[in-house]
Amino acid sequence: MKVVTGVVGNDIHVVANRLIEISLQARGFEVFNLGVNTYLEEFIDAVIETNADILLISSLNGEAEGWCRELNILKSKYKSLKDVVFMLGGNLAVGEAKTEDIVPKFKNYGFDLVFHQVDLNTGLDELEKYVKAKK
Amino acid sequence: MKNRLLIDIGSTYFKVSDAENIQQHFRDFNKDIYDDLKYKCSDILEKYNKDDVYICSSANGGLSTLIIGITNSFSLKYATNIAFNSGINIIDTILYQDIENTTVPSDLIDVVIITGAIDSVSDIFDEKLFNYLNELNYSNIVYVGNKNDSKYLSENIENLVILPNIINNKLQVNELQLKEYLTNLYQADIMGKEDIKNLYAITDNQIYSTPYIVNKTLPLINTMFKVADPFILVDIGGATTDIHYSTTLINDNMVKDSEYDRLVFKKLGVFKSKESLIFAAKNNEFVYELLSFLNVTEHIFEEQSDKALKTLMQLAIFLVLYKVSKAHPLYINLKLDLLKSVVLTGGITKVLKQEEVESIIGFFYKKILSSSVKPNIILDSNYEIWTLGITQK
Repeated sequence: MKVVTGVVGNDIHVVANRLIEISLQARGFEVFNLGVNTYLEEFIDAVIETNADILLISSLNGEAEGWCRELNILKSKYKSLKDVVFMLGGNLAVGEAKTEDIVPKFKNYGFDLVFHQVDLNTGLDELEKYVKAKK
Repeated sequence: MKNRLLIDIGSTYFKVSDAENIQQHFRDFNKDIYDDLKYKCSDILEKYNKDDVYICSSANGGLSTLIIGITNSFSLKYATNIAFNSGINIIDTILYQDIENTTVPSDLIDVVIITGAIDSVSDIFDEKLFNYLNELNYSNIVYVGNKNDSKYLSENIENLVILPNIINNKLQVNELQLKEYLTNLYQADIMGKEDIKNLYAITDNQIYSTPYIVNKTLPLINTMFKVADPFILVDIGGATTDIHYSTTLINDNMVKDSEYDRLVFKKLGVFKSKESLIFAAKNNEFVYELLSFLNVTEHIFEEQSDKALKTLMQLAIFLVLYKVSKAHPLYINLKLDLLKSVVLTGGITKVLKQEEVESIIGFFYKKILSSSVKPNIILDSNYEIWTLGITQK
């Protein structure tokens, strides 16, 4: 399966980005890594150009909301995105925040899977389960 | 180094350079370019063999191009970039998913470029494309998208040229083959234009577009001027304004061979498009402040004087910097606060003095970027920049 990944917005956590790429490849995914400092529009466009099955956006600096809240608007512009799995993970808020508040908020923005302060392997296990169940 | 004769044919001037000097001549528009050149420069032309004469030209208007791609961040952006750096004028870009609702240009298009998706993807294009192309009047069409769709497209589009995908499987740009195709098409176009075609009577070398040559020059610019990186080169000519810029001035994920890109502002020329320049100036929110800074009033736009021409040139510099600054977020945004040098070339260097350019750029930096620090300004007053790139393979 093809995955487009990268770190959104003004976030420059390059080590985390590299670890995500390595972990995805180890699990057999074909990875298109857009790297750090990537805009949401670029993620969507990369999914279109690669016909990817999954978009996995990571955000570590807590500023994901400002960069990701227009996902549904962008998704609505392309018809071919209806089968794509949209996943967001990392540290999704600045300061203290409850997972039960954050997850519904980002799901409302258009993400299928949202992981706040969950370790990478757990997140990827959940992704694989979700993809399997979707088939 | 072997002595060579270098010639640049512009829309208003032509320039002739060899190891000893550079000559510049206003073109006589009542004459064929070749006849005009022979008349004004016969002495120097006689000294050189055909294989030692190198010519570039921006005088034939360039090729008009329409690009159809599937996303703004990749296929359209990559093809646009390659076309600009090949010296081509882009008249429009179309996002494929909107093609059914896009107006078909009535002008004849010299070349249509179709692109989209990496090679493992297929079934991107369908009848919508053919319906659109049926309405379009074009001379050449090239496909540089995913490999899997090429057979289907070539079966349905007459005379389709198929080249390798400009997007590789890592989503990086592959520019070589399309750049070569567009450069050759430009050459073929020149061969068809009587004015330029006749110039092959004095050269055995290929005639390239001037912007293509300037792009080749940029990595060598330090051998001629004291230019610090990152820099922009602004060529304000008779009909158009070009900006060539170091790619470190943009936030971009594009991985490519060249360190420099090019933008063209078709409506910011000073002689042929005076009205559009004035229109752009009048619509700029800073225009009155700017005119006041230059100690003139709006009436200057109606005047035919040296002062009016100088003001227009200064306005052109301001407007082009404004268009690529953060003050104009809808357009490409160059990080002008990081800029170390601005090199100016073209007709503008014949009209403005160093201090007049410094003054307007200083105004721009203070007003738009709120900075009292401005980049180093270099005027290529002798029109020499193109001479560096013209003989580079």
